[in-house]
Amino acid sequence: MSVADERSVSAEARVAGAEKLVLALPKGRVMAASMAALREAGLRLAPRADGRALRYDAGDAIVIEMRNADVPTYVELGVADAGIVGKDVLLEMGSRLAEPVDLGFAACRLSLIRPVGASGTIERVATKYPRLTASYLARRGSSAEVVKLNGNVELACLTGLADAVVDVVETGGTLRDNDLEEVDVIGHSSARLVVNRASLKLRGERLRPLIEGLRRLPGAF
Amino acid sequence: MSQAGLPDGTRFVLPDVAARRAELRAGLRDLYCTWGYDLVEVPSLERYEPTHPRAGQSFKLADRDSGVLALRADFTPALAQLVRATHPAVAGGARRPLRYQYAGTVWHAIDPELARTREFTQVGIELVGVSNARADAELIHLARESVRVVGLEPRVEVGNPGFVRAAFDAAGVPAGLRDPVADAIDRKDRSDLSTLLAGAQLPAQDVEALLAIPDLYGAVDVLSYARSTIPWPGAQRELERLAGVLAEFEDDSELMLDLSMARRLSYYTGVTFRAYTPDFGQPLLGGGRYDGALLPAAAGFSLGLERLLRAVAQRRSANEPDPLVLALDDPGARRLRAAGVRVLRATEVDVAAARSEARALGVPYLLADGRLEALDGHGDEHLRALEAIIAADGGTA
Repeated sequence: MSVADERSVSAEARVAGAEKLVLALPKGRVMAASMAALREAGLRLAPRADGRALRYDAGDAIVIEMRNADVPTYVELGVADAGIVGKDVLLEMGSRLAEPVDLGFAACRLSLIRPVGASGTIERVATKYPRLTASYLARRGSSAEVVKLNGNVELACLTGLADAVVDVVETGGTLRDNDLEEVDVIGHSSARLVVNRASLKLRGERLRPLIEGLRRLPGAF
Repeated sequence: MSQAGLPDGTRFVLPDVAARRAELRAGLRDLYCTWGYDLVEVPSLERYEPTHPRAGQSFKLADRDSGVLALRADFTPALAQLVRATHPAVAGGARRPLRYQYAGTVWHAIDPELARTREFTQVGIELVGVSNARADAELIHLARESVRVVGLEPRVEVGNPGFVRAAFDAAGVPAGLRDPVADAIDRKDRSDLSTLLAGAQLPAQDVEALLAIPDLYGAVDVLSYARSTIPWPGAQRELERLAGVLAEFEDDSELMLDLSMARRLSYYTGVTFRAYTPDFGQPLLGGGRYDGALLPAAAGFSLGLERLLRAVAQRRSANEPDPLVLALDDPGARRLRAAGVRVLRATEVDVAAARSEARALGVPYLLADGRLEALDGHGDEHLRALEAIIAADGGTA
């Protein structure tokens, strides 16, 4: 890390020093469900006034919005006190964050997917989850190669780029439409509340009621 | 990510930062000295040990014969070796407290894409040859003082992995499940925990008590709550052990407890602890008791200097001016230096050129012809004090 980086980290870290909780939330579908869950758990959060602000004061908390995969980093380094992120992301990162609430929504399976009826040896697997996939293949004793893709992983099977993919499956609709099938379920994912360990201890008076409130929501644990 | 031409994860330490690092190291060294911790040095090169807990993160080197060496990734194994070599009786189990402190570089061969640094400075202490509540309390107290001595407000969190281990024994958690269950407890992940326990066919009341462990953290009163709710006698004994350590403190209000600390369950045998400071999101220090792992009785902690520096820098006011002086006037400079002020000797000979030199270097004060001048843009808050030093013994020369 350079000298300049050190300054920027301390400037960012100061955000967490604000009186209000700082929450890292993922862009996209999970955002709306997360805001709803946080409100039901007792936080008064106003909708964002400027539709494009990436960091805004929502009343009881400051909300920062980012890509799903960046949430653990912001929470780990203490820039955010807590965040909401899919278990799939945490598993892929090998995260050590505290994750005291399983929110239950955004539930999906992480599965090995092949074209319907395929049976030959798997030589190459395409995925957004290279670490998880590699350790799954190692457990199965497979020597298949892992290729990291960034989206529409199913396409890899359809075009012959790979003979299997590892991806999240919610309803299976996309698979059926493309003549693909789940051949093995590797794991289960759902949205988790992740909490910075220092914040959990030093700002417990704010975080523990939030944790309790979220656990009481239907479907949460 | 890396600075020009340097290997990934290494960097230059420039003057300002180097000075502050030296200050922090000196403050910690003096603190540990006053408690009787002797400074020792150990080699940066070690024999590569595949069984070392950090072996996977070692930078390996080929020795000139067939041996494989590793760059030091941690101080503890080398200190244990030092004790075995110099105090065989203590290494054999004799009770005799030995106190050591160390400071130096460690290297971790971690993925440079994820790692900001692969070369760190660690400072730490070890208290070897004694295993009791007083020794644990001494280390926890020094952990707290380490944070205080660098000007930060300490919060120390204490746990006891022995408690989780005793709970596993009492509840009969199968050996094959212990690592993932301990990991889920440490991450406070009740969802994974209940999935894992569902497969183990344990009695319902034991499962319920295990599921409650991740929430056993907070102020010290968590201990009395745990003592009244935990059903297993073996785990109760571990809670009493923790109570014994807390009883050593006159004021335990700055301490916090986390009974779900369950990292490195096979290494740490007694109390473990981490130190935090408010508004900084990462632990500054970590350690604990690891009797039997490397030596019969040993405990200690270490701090990462880089992280400590970030926490300190975050607190320091950004525009604290440095009363640095550029001098054309040697007698005045001598008096300033004698008073501890940093004075650069001008490389120019006339006043106008020296003034430009000071501006180019960003030096706020110029001393020329017996007159001290605050240069533009800089406040004159140190001016009077510096003038007083120069004038102190008989005016300007």
